[in-house]
Amino acid sequence: MGKRTILFDLGKWTYVFPALLVLGLVLLVPLLFAFWMSFQHMPIGRPATFAGVKNFIRIFQCPLFYHSLERTILYAFPAVGVKAVIGLAVALFLNQKFWGRGVLRGIAIIPYALPLFIVCVLFWFVYDYRGIGNFLLRLVRLRPIRWLSYQYAMPSIILVNVWHGWPFFYLGFLAGLQSIPVELYESAEIDGASSFDQFVHITLPLLAPVFWIVCGLSLMWTMGDFVTPKMMTGGGPADVTLTIPIATYKIAFLLGLNYPLASAYAVAILPIFVVLIYLTVRRLE
Amino acid sequence: MKQGKKKLYLGIAAFLLLFWVFFPVYWVLKTSFAPEEEVWGMGLPHNPTLQNFRDIFTVRRGSMVEVTGAMLSISPTIVTPLRNTLFVAVLAVFLTMVVSSIAAFNLSRFAYRGKRIVSSYILFAYVFPPFILMVPITVAMRRLGLYDSLWGLMFAHLAYTIPFATYMLRGYFMGIPQELEEAAQVDGCSRFQSFVRITLPLAAPGLVTVAIFSFVLSWGDVVFATVLLNTQDQYTLPIHIGFFLWGGEIVDPGRLAATALVAGLIPAFLYIAIQRFVQMGLVAGAVKG
Repeated sequence: MGKRTILFDLGKWTYVFPALLVLGLVLLVPLLFAFWMSFQHMPIGRPATFAGVKNFIRIFQCPLFYHSLERTILYAFPAVGVKAVIGLAVALFLNQKFWGRGVLRGIAIIPYALPLFIVCVLFWFVYDYRGIGNFLLRLVRLRPIRWLSYQYAMPSIILVNVWHGWPFFYLGFLAGLQSIPVELYESAEIDGASSFDQFVHITLPLLAPVFWIVCGLSLMWTMGDFVTPKMMTGGGPADVTLTIPIATYKIAFLLGLNYPLASAYAVAILPIFVVLIYLTVRRLE
Repeated sequence: MKQGKKKLYLGIAAFLLLFWVFFPVYWVLKTSFAPEEEVWGMGLPHNPTLQNFRDIFTVRRGSMVEVTGAMLSISPTIVTPLRNTLFVAVLAVFLTMVVSSIAAFNLSRFAYRGKRIVSSYILFAYVFPPFILMVPITVAMRRLGLYDSLWGLMFAHLAYTIPFATYMLRGYFMGIPQELEEAAQVDGCSRFQSFVRITLPLAAPGLVTVAIFSFVLSWGDVVFATVLLNTQDQYTLPIHIGFFLWGGEIVDPGRLAATALVAGLIPAFLYIAIQRFVQMGLVAGAVKG
């Protein structure tokens, strides 16, 4: 590796440098800053002092930490599971050939095309006591409920997330289905395999790579979903929908304006996301 | 017989899909055209009116209390938040497209040491959940004097848009044969000129798609808008719309529905317009969901 090649390499770096600079400023520097802050004590109006691992001890002793972890798992896993099922069902449906398929394919991505905050507004109307949710319950002879009460808030906000997010799975699965060679099904047909056999032995195994990527991405984004709990319940009632992003927000901005504590909280849960990102990105690359 | 049965199943599936997608959308659509006494009715309004749309652009609303912050605020018309959201999104898209297309060109054409790390870092940034940056970015923006400023918010949005756009554009550029650029270089173009004159025009559909995705990302941002904006002159649409919920109850359903329609129609329309490319976009690296 001579001097000339290094200079040549530097020339190529100049193209990517602006992007790296911006990404460094908005991602890497804040992350390192959060890491630094999590070891500080920052009383308002006085300079920061080194606090050692005090913030982390407070976090790990706080029941809120474990509560928010539990809430996040109870929020994200059911949501991803239901999204995957609906996405697969619709992808199988819209992979059939029939009149009007093109229009339905366009309609299927509408929930995903709406920004999440708009979707939340749509569901404010659904979950209002006078709204369409209770109308549908009455239609099937059930008693109206308070959708965002302690008892029902979690399933209700999961439904919001599911409604917005399932087309992501649908799009991924449809692309996966279209890449399966038709010959496989034809030869299976000749060998006398039923359509159920074909589904289990051809479709599902060949869909597996797409499945894991889509699930990994969605799990990460659902766990990090700040918008839905913030706009629907704000973490309430009685912290029943207090997922990790909402807890970070509350510690940092609402309860005590304690940035170091909120940073320690974010740093403490960071490994979960890094592992998830690693597992997903490895498949993407 | 078998054909008829299949048709029946397909029909039922189509009905279920349409119902599932449209039941919340229908509600907001019909409420936005309903006069005040009909907003909670189930059917279409008997006396449809455009009053709600006229109101959100012209009538200043009474004082309301935001529950979470216990902050007294007069909710203004939609004009300022709409302008703010547009300003941030357009500027963010512009910067993103300039920076990302150059970076993506680099990643798709050159080979050098450290390139793998650069691509991995961009991919990492793309899938990274932004809420973790809430606290440090707020503190940093306060120190930089960009707190409660649309410029600061725009800059924070680049954390969403640049990694996404770079990753997606890289895929598009890879699909354009390098030989075309080489031919241009034989004819006397520099490497950069051949990129601007040959590759960029050929990648136009890709550029438009990525620009629209980035626009929608910025338009729909709640995380940074919540923590970075503090006065109502700076509020973007997601924050503005939050004022319609008071103590868990909807205030003024008609105008809320009209606001939601205005705020949701633009991104939805853009998305449907590029529907054909959405799937390709997903394969190349999708939008967060």
